[in-house]
Amino acid sequence: MASPTRTEALSDELRRLGSGSEGDRLSFRLVVAVLLRCLPLLRGVRRHLLAFFGIVLLLFAAILPLVAMGFDIFWTGVLQGSPLPEIQARLLLLDPALVSGVDVLSEAARRSVRDHALVAAAVVLLAVALPAAGALTYYYIWITQRINQELRLQLHDRLQTLSLRFHAETRVGDAIYRLHQDSAMVSDLIEAVFLTPVMHFGRHLIAAGVVFLFDPLAALIFLLAWPPALALGYWMSRRLRIGFRAARETNAALTARIQEILEGIKVVKAYGTEPAAQRSFEAHSRAAFDAAFGVRFLVCIFSVLVFGLVSVTTLAGYARMLEMTRLAEPVFAVALLIGFGFDRFTLGVFNLLKGELGWGSGSFRIIYRMWARAQDMAIGLDRVFELLDLEPEVQDAPDAVDLPPFQRDVTFRGVHFGYGPDRPTLEDVGFTARAGSLTAIVGPTGSGKSTLMSLLLRLFDPDAGSIEIDGLDLRAVSLASLRSAVSIALQENVLFGATVRENIRYAAPTASDAAVREAARVAAADGFIQELPDGYDTLLGERGTKLSTGQRQRVSIARAVLKDTPILILDEPTASLDAETELRVLRNLRAWGRDRAIFLVTHRLSSVRQADRILVFHEGRLVEQGSHETLLERPGGAYRSLVHAEAPPAPQRMAAP
Amino acid sequence: MRETFEARHDVSQREVLRIFGRAIRFVAPFRGRFAVKALLTVVSLFPPLLLPWPIKMQIDHLLEGHPVIPGDYPGFIRPLAEQLVGASPAEILLWTLGFQLLLVFTIGAMGSTSSERDQADARLSAGRDTATTTENDLNYGHSRASGLLGLFEFRWTLRLTHLLNHHYRSRLFERIHALPMTAFDDERIGDAIYRVMYDAPAITQVVYRLLLIPLYSPLGILLVTWTLDVAYGTRLLGWVALALLPLVGLATFPFAALIRRRGEESRMAGATTASTVEEGMSNVLAVQSLGANERERQRFDRDSAHSFGRFRRYIAAWIFAIACLAAVGLPVILWLARYGSDLVIAGTLTTGDFALMIAYFVQLATYAFILGTLWIRLQGNAAGLNRVFFLMDLPGEEDAPGAQPLPAVARGVRFEGVDFDYEDGTAALRSIDVKVPVGAMTALVGSAGAGKTTLAYLVPRFLSPTRGRVLFDERDVAGASLASVRSQVAFVFQEQHLFDTSVEENIRVGRPDATQAEVHRAARAAGADEFIRALPDGYATRLGRAGGKLSVGQKQRLAIARALVREAPILILDEPTSALDPDTERRLLVTLREAARTRLVLVIAHRLSTVRQADQILFLQDGRVLERGSHDALMADPDGAYRRFVELQTRGAA
Repeated sequence: MASPTRTEALSDELRRLGSGSEGDRLSFRLVVAVLLRCLPLLRGVRRHLLAFFGIVLLLFAAILPLVAMGFDIFWTGVLQGSPLPEIQARLLLLDPALVSGVDVLSEAARRSVRDHALVAAAVVLLAVALPAAGALTYYYIWITQRINQELRLQLHDRLQTLSLRFHAETRVGDAIYRLHQDSAMVSDLIEAVFLTPVMHFGRHLIAAGVVFLFDPLAALIFLLAWPPALALGYWMSRRLRIGFRAARETNAALTARIQEILEGIKVVKAYGTEPAAQRSFEAHSRAAFDAAFGVRFLVCIFSVLVFGLVSVTTLAGYARMLEMTRLAEPVFAVALLIGFGFDRFTLGVFNLLKGELGWGSGSFRIIYRMWARAQDMAIGLDRVFELLDLEPEVQDAPDAVDLPPFQRDVTFRGVHFGYGPDRPTLEDVGFTARAGSLTAIVGPTGSGKSTLMSLLLRLFDPDAGSIEIDGLDLRAVSLASLRSAVSIALQENVLFGATVRENIRYAAPTASDAAVREAARVAAADGFIQELPDGYDTLLGERGTKLSTGQRQRVSIARAVLKDTPILILDEPTASLDAETELRVLRNLRAWGRDRAIFLVTHRLSSVRQADRILVFHEGRLVEQGSHETLLERPGGAYRSLVHAEAPPAPQRMAAP
Repeated sequence: MRETFEARHDVSQREVLRIFGRAIRFVAPFRGRFAVKALLTVVSLFPPLLLPWPIKMQIDHLLEGHPVIPGDYPGFIRPLAEQLVGASPAEILLWTLGFQLLLVFTIGAMGSTSSERDQADARLSAGRDTATTTENDLNYGHSRASGLLGLFEFRWTLRLTHLLNHHYRSRLFERIHALPMTAFDDERIGDAIYRVMYDAPAITQVVYRLLLIPLYSPLGILLVTWTLDVAYGTRLLGWVALALLPLVGLATFPFAALIRRRGEESRMAGATTASTVEEGMSNVLAVQSLGANERERQRFDRDSAHSFGRFRRYIAAWIFAIACLAAVGLPVILWLARYGSDLVIAGTLTTGDFALMIAYFVQLATYAFILGTLWIRLQGNAAGLNRVFFLMDLPGEEDAPGAQPLPAVARGVRFEGVDFDYEDGTAALRSIDVKVPVGAMTALVGSAGAGKTTLAYLVPRFLSPTRGRVLFDERDVAGASLASVRSQVAFVFQEQHLFDTSVEENIRVGRPDATQAEVHRAARAAGADEFIRALPDGYATRLGRAGGKLSVGQKQRLAIARALVREAPILILDEPTSALDPDTERRLLVTLREAARTRLVLVIAHRLSTVRQADQILFLQDGRVLERGSHDALMADPDGAYRRFVELQTRGAA
C-alpha cells in the first residue's frame, strides 16, 4: 500500500533527480555501475555481437599478415632493392629464383615486383576490405539500433506506469518529462560506453601485440603511456563531472525557461512583459554558454594532454625501433614471423610497426575521449536507470483475482488518503453507489473530488479504509481487470491524430460502425460529427480538423460509452457544454446506463439534479449525501447553500419538463 | 503553421545557395573576431609543412647512412639539417625526435596521417536527437591544429561561436514575441518553435565551413606545392591534387541530394517517435483508463523501428558515397606509388624522399577531400537553416509606420460592421455592430463556438477584424501603436498560466511597479488573499512550474488578481468563474461590479449567476449578436433566444 511517507520520499527523489541539483555523487564506481547496468541490454543481440566481433577478428587475422608483407615488399624490396623472402615472392606469383635467390634486385625485377604488389593490393582492397567495411558498418548500426529499440521500449513501459502514478504530482511529472529528454541520449549509450571502447581497446591491444612480436621492449615503452594517463584521467574526472553537471543544469534551466515563456506567451503578450521575458532568456542563455565553455575547454585540455602523453611514448617507441632497424637486429618471435618472411628488422618492418603504433595511439586517444564522454553520459544515464529500476507502487497482489462481472455496488469504507503526511486529501469517506444509479459528486475546488475517482481507478491505494466492488476489496483484484471495468471521461480530454471514428473506437477497436454511431448519439455528438467535412472519417488533431472544447468533450464521452464498462466516471466532462447539450447528454447517459454505476464529478448544479444521489464534499470530508430533494430541504445544509448561490429567482413560467 | 515548419524540407540546390548566402551575412556583427579566427586558421597551415622532414632525415641519414648535405634542404628546415652534419646516429636520433616532440606540443602532430595528428576539440557523445547534436555543433573547434596553437584557437573559436549563437538565439526569441497571438493558439506551435531554437546553431556550422574551408584548403594546397617546388623543383603533385578536387566533387555530388533527403526523412521519423512518446506521456491517464497500453506500446515500437530504418537508409547512402570516393582515390594512389618508386629505382630520389612525398601527398589529399566534400557535408544544415529563416520571416505584429499612441479610453469600445474569418476562410464573426461602454459590466453569452472569445480578442488587437473597425472612443485601434492599445487592457484567459516565481511576482506581472499593498488589495478583491496566506510562505511562496499544486480555481483567482492589479481601463475575463465555488464567485462578482463603475468590464460567461450581474448582455449565436439588453429585459421577451437559453439552463431548479 502507498504509505504517505514513501510517496513523499519517492517524489522528492524524483524531483531531485530531475533537477540534478546535487553534488558530485558520481564516483568512478558509479560510472562502472552504469556500464554494468548496460550489459543485460546486450542479451537480445548476444549472437549478433559475437558474430560481428568474430568476423572483425577473422578479417584482421587474414589481412594483417598481408599488410605486413606488403610493407616489407614495397619498402625493403622495391625501394631499397633487397631480395624478397621466398614466401612473399610466391604470394606475388613471381619466380623465387629471380627475386629471392639474388643478392640485389635488378631495376627490372624491382619494377615487376612493384607492379605485382600494386595489383595485389588493389585486388585485396576492392574485393575484400572495402565491401567488408561497408557491410560491417551497416551490420554494426543495425545491432546498436536493436539494442536501443529494446531500451526505448523498456523506458516507454516504465514511464507509462510511473506517469500514471504521478498524475497528481505535477512537479514530479515534470521531472519525468525531463528524464525522458535525457533518455534521448540512450540512443548513443551502448555504442559510447560499451561497443566503441571495446573495439578501440581491442585495436590498441592488437597494435601493441604486433609490435611485441617484433620487439617486446618497444611495445612496453609504448604501453608506458598508461600509468600517467590513468592518473591524469583520475585527476580530471571529478572536475569534468562537476563541469558537465553545471553545463547540464544551466542548459536545463534555459530549456525550462524557454518552455515556460512559450507556455505563458499569451500572458506575456497581453501584459506587455516581453522585455522582461527577453532579459531573462538572455541571462539564462549566457549562463548556459559560460558553463559549456568552461567544461568544453577542460575537455579540450584533457585531450591535448592525452595526445602529448601518448606521443611521447610513441616517439620513444620509434627511437627504439629506429635503432633496431639501423642495426638490422633479429626480430623477437622469429619462429612465428619467419613464416611471413620476417627474420630481421628492415625498413618495411619499421614502417609497418610505425603504422601500428599510430593505430595504437589513435585508439588510446579515443578510449580517453570516451572516458571523458562517459562522465557526461553517466550523469544523464544514472537517472535513466534509476527510473527503470523504480517499482510502481500500486501493483497486483500475488494472488490477485480478476474482477467478476459487476452486479451490485461500489462501496467506500472509511477511506483516508493524503498525498503527503501533512496533507490529508480525504478523511473518513464512506458511501455506496448501486448499479443502475447516477451518483453526483459536488463540492468546491480542492475538496478531493478527483482524488476520490483516482482511488476508484486504483491509481493510488487508500492509507486507511477500503474500496470494494461487490464486496471485493480492490487491492485483491488485478489491475488490468479493474481498469477494464471502469471507463473515464475527463475534463481535459485527449484526442489523437486520427479520424473521429478511430478516436471513438480507441478503447474498443473491434466495435462496429453502428456501435460507434450509437455511442456518439448517447454523447450527443452524432449531430455535429455528421456536419464535419468527412463525417465520421474526418481527421482530427494536429493536422486535421480542430474541434471546440465542448465537441472534444463529447467525443471523449462517446469513447467512454463505447468502451461499455459497468462503471463510468465523468470527471467534469461537460464543463464546456452549453446547458441544453449537457442536459441531453445526461439524459441519454441515464437511459444508457440502466445497470451501471455512473459517477459524475461536477461543479454545475444544473447537471446535479439529474443524479439519484448527491455526495457533497468539503475539504476532504463527505459532509452530506442524499437526493436533490432531500438535501434541498435540509435547512442550513451545505448543498442548499450551494444551490441558492447559483439558482436564479424562480422563473415565472416553467418550461414543460 | 506547424505544417509549414515541418513540410518545407525539400529545397532546391539553388535555394540552398540562397540560404547559405544569407547565413554568411550573419557573421557581419562579429567580423573582427572572425578575422582573427581566420588568421589563426591560416597560421596553422604553416607548421605542418615541417612534419615530413624529420622522417625523411631518419630514413636517409640514420637508416641508409646517406651523408647530410644541408644545401639539399629548403631554407626553412636547413638549420635542423646543419645540426646533423657529421653527427653520430644517436645525435641524429635525438635531434629529429626532439624536433618531432616540439611539433607535438606546439601544433599537436608528429606526422601527416590522421592517427599522428590531433585536432583540438571537445566533442561529446551525441544522440540522434537534435538537442545533443546541437550541443556538439555549438562547441565544435573548427581547428586544424592541436597542442598549444590548437588550444588557443579552440578557445577563441568557442567564444566566438557562443557569442554568435547567443546573439542569434536572442534575435530568434525576440521574433517569437512579435508573432501574432493567434500563432500560439495551436499548442504544437510551441514545440515547433522550440525545435527551431535548436536549429539555430546550424548558422555557425555553415558560416565556419563556408568561409574557412574555401580559404584554407586552396591555400594549403598552394603551400605544399610551393614547398615541393622549392625542394624538388616539381609541381606535379599540386596539379594532381587540383585534379582530385573535381573528381571528389563528381564522385559525391550525385549523392548530395540523396543524402539530404534521407537525412531529412530520418529526422522526420525521429520527430514522429519523439511525439509518440510525448503524446503517450501527456495522455497517460486516458491511455491507461481506456485500456490501450498494449496498443500504445505497439505504436511506439512501430514508430521507433521505422525511425531506425530511416536512419539505416541514410547511413547506406553515406556508405555508397564513400565507396565512390574510394573508387576515385585508389587509381591516384596506385599511380603515385608507381611514379614515386620509379624515381627511387632510377636513383633520382632517396627512400626518405619517397616517404616525404607520400606525407605531403596525404596533406594535399586531405585538403582536396575537405574542399571536395564541403557541399555534401553542408546538406544536413540546409533544412535546419531553412526553418530558422522561416521563423525569422514570419510576419509579426508590428506597428504601422506613423502609428500614434491611443489616449486612454474614456467612453467605450465600438465594433463597427466587424467580420472575422479564420485563416481557412470559415466565418467566426458576422456584421458585429455593438457598443461596449465604460462604466458598465457587459457579458458575452452564447453556446460553445458562438464567437465569444474571438470577439473579445479583437479589443486588445490580439486579432484584427477581416472587415470593419474596432474603435476606442471613435478612434480606430488599427492605426494606433500596439503598446498603447494593450496597456489599456487587462485580459484573463480561459486557461491560466502561472510562472515559476513567487505568488507576488505572478500577480505583479499585471503591473511590474505595483506596490505590495496594491498586490494584496488585488488578491483580496479576487478572493485569493485567504488561500495565499495559507501557503507555506504566503505571498513569497514559489509556485513551481505551471503553478504546481494550486487547484484550477486558485489559479483562476491569481489570474484575476493579476488583471485587477493592472488597473487598466478595460478588463476582459474569459470564463473567470467556471471553476469557482458559489461563495467565491459571489465575492468576485461584487468586486467586478465595483470595478465596472469606472471601467469597461467584459465577461465571457456560461454561469447564469455571473451573467445576471451584467448591465448589458450580448447574446451571440453563430458569430452574430442576436440579442442585446439587460437580463430582465431579455427575459421579458417570451420568444427570445436568450430566454430559451436561460430556461434550459435552470430547468428543474428548485
